[in-house]
Amino acid sequence: MKTVLFLAALAALHAAAAARAQDRFHLPLLVPITGALALEGQSERDGALLALDPPTAAGDAARPLRPSHAVFDTGSNPQLAVQAFERAMAAEIRPRAMLGPIDGNSMLALLPLAEREKVALLSVSGTARLTELGNAHIFRFFPSDVVVKAAQARYAVQELQRRKIALVYQNTAYGQSGNEQLGRWIESLGAAVVYRNSVPVTTKEMSGVIAQVRDSGADAVLLQLHSGSSALFLKQAARAGLALPIVGGSALHQPSTAALLEPAELKGVCAETASAPAADPGLAGFARIFRERMKSEPDAFALAAFDAVNAALAAARMPGPLAESLAKIRHPGLAMTYESDGKGNMAHDAIIVCYDGASRTPRIAKRYARPHEAARR
Amino acid sequence: MSWAQIAIDGLALGAAYALVALGFVLILNAAGAVNFAQGDLVMAGGFAAIALASALPLDALPVPGLVLAPLVALAGGGAGWIVAEVAYRPLRHRPPVAVFIATIAVGIMLQHGANGIFGAAERRTPPLVSGDAVVVGGVTLSLQSLAIVATAAIVILLLHRLLERTQLGRRLRAAAEDPEMARAIGIPVRRLTALAFALGAGLAALAGLLLANVYFVTPTAGLAFMLKAYIAVTIGGWGSLRGAVIGAFLVALFEVAAGRLFSASLADALLYAALLLALLFKPEGLFGEAAGRRA
Repeated sequence: MKTVLFLAALAALHAAAAARAQDRFHLPLLVPITGALALEGQSERDGALLALDPPTAAGDAARPLRPSHAVFDTGSNPQLAVQAFERAMAAEIRPRAMLGPIDGNSMLALLPLAEREKVALLSVSGTARLTELGNAHIFRFFPSDVVVKAAQARYAVQELQRRKIALVYQNTAYGQSGNEQLGRWIESLGAAVVYRNSVPVTTKEMSGVIAQVRDSGADAVLLQLHSGSSALFLKQAARAGLALPIVGGSALHQPSTAALLEPAELKGVCAETASAPAADPGLAGFARIFRERMKSEPDAFALAAFDAVNAALAAARMPGPLAESLAKIRHPGLAMTYESDGKGNMAHDAIIVCYDGASRTPRIAKRYARPHEAARR
Repeated sequence: MSWAQIAIDGLALGAAYALVALGFVLILNAAGAVNFAQGDLVMAGGFAAIALASALPLDALPVPGLVLAPLVALAGGGAGWIVAEVAYRPLRHRPPVAVFIATIAVGIMLQHGANGIFGAAERRTPPLVSGDAVVVGGVTLSLQSLAIVATAAIVILLLHRLLERTQLGRRLRAAAEDPEMARAIGIPVRRLTALAFALGAGLAALAGLLLANVYFVTPTAGLAFMLKAYIAVTIGGWGSLRGAVIGAFLVALFEVAAGRLFSASLADALLYAALLLALLFKPEGLFGEAAGRRA
């Protein structure tokens, strides 16, 4: 009799523990806090942290789940990202999802691991290839290069009426992915790429590139550069008197990039992005709370991570494996409504922001809903 | 954009590289080992300037960066002295690899320290002088670039005078060339080695102030400066101060000119190809009499 009672008590304890574990939602944050993409990684981390521990106004008040997290620095390095993944899997509570690093190379290294462990990998990376490998465990909450580059090219060609485009891109996976997409969209829109050149992240002096852009006869410049290189290009282009419209990549919407430049150096410069929390009146509440909590300016990567974590929390309340729930969910986020296209691309909209030369805060110049689909038509 | 402006930009970049390379050689000669933290000391100098600028009322001054320059150089010098005492002195009798691994560790600590204090974003130091550009003979030239060249030239001349014309300079050179003999004749080698570290780090910090206004600074920016200094010193002659300066200008002008003629990516590749050729055909560098002893 004592044995039966002991076994019953043990079963009850086990059931209670299992129920508690189901209430828990452990989300490792694998983000580059150091290294070349530390700025973007810190934005990503801060957005996720705000979603996991929101004040009432910013997040989900219901909270039937008890979220917990652990932050792992991937150092903008695929090898460190893989190590971080393995360490995250060894946690007491087995994670059902992880937030992956923003750099495409690290994400590519993590994809097979996510598939093997059946862990949903949330991403805010724009590298197009991530969702083209048939992996059912990746969910990208930042529009891929296919989407934002379509918006960038459409704005230059259709809104600014430019036909001869100079393309300057970073010689990284991010830059090459954007270069490929931009070239394709520019030509499909009936314009021509008259100049194309790549720049290493270590290049400080851009005067040679700027002189070549001028010599090429281009009537607009499209950039696909990281934050520092974008600011260097703009600063030196202003110094050289390059009077061409410039439409940059998402790095140029970041408040930290604009802070490096004088407002006059930003005059007439535009940038694609998924959202602009610091500039969009509709996101003022998020921006205010983010500033209070994180002591920094929010950007599109922070908001994408915030929306991604909230979508994962919503999916975690649904029955069945998390990846299957994320594949089915339609999540109304702050930046946009997220829904998988069957490949794990959840974000499909983009905006163009432009600076007026008087301040470092841009205004939204154009909103594009599914710009890649319209451009294809 | 004219070649004149590109040349000025190249000279400004070369002037800042020259300060980094000079500091690199000073420490190399004094310690007999490469200071791999030199690039991170450049980065630290940039952030020190940013911290000092936020603490001082510089906005109204016409020369905010010039006011900061001696303070930043002093702060860098202090950091160099600490590096000497922590990462060099306890290890000086071990194989040289111990010192350079210690300096790598110092560099990584500086990176993480800067990331923790200032964050990962690019930051900018105040300009050396207020104003954007001057027009000379119809060519628009950046005032900052000209100020960088002038500041670096003055510092290099002062350093040259210190090393060649003063008793302290002669003692520094003696301690670097033959520490045992110098010690035997009563020269305080330990203190002079620490002073060489302080001078080298002070130059690096000053370069950080000069570079970070035009090219910005991040906690991870040091590696690129370290590599450029290394290439400059290899081309100029391992251990030669004159070679370091000339090597730095050659590296910068090559970088800018090749970037104008070809592409920035190709310019980088060509620079490393030139380094390989230099190592193959003139391993002692342009002025590298001391190469055999110090490499």
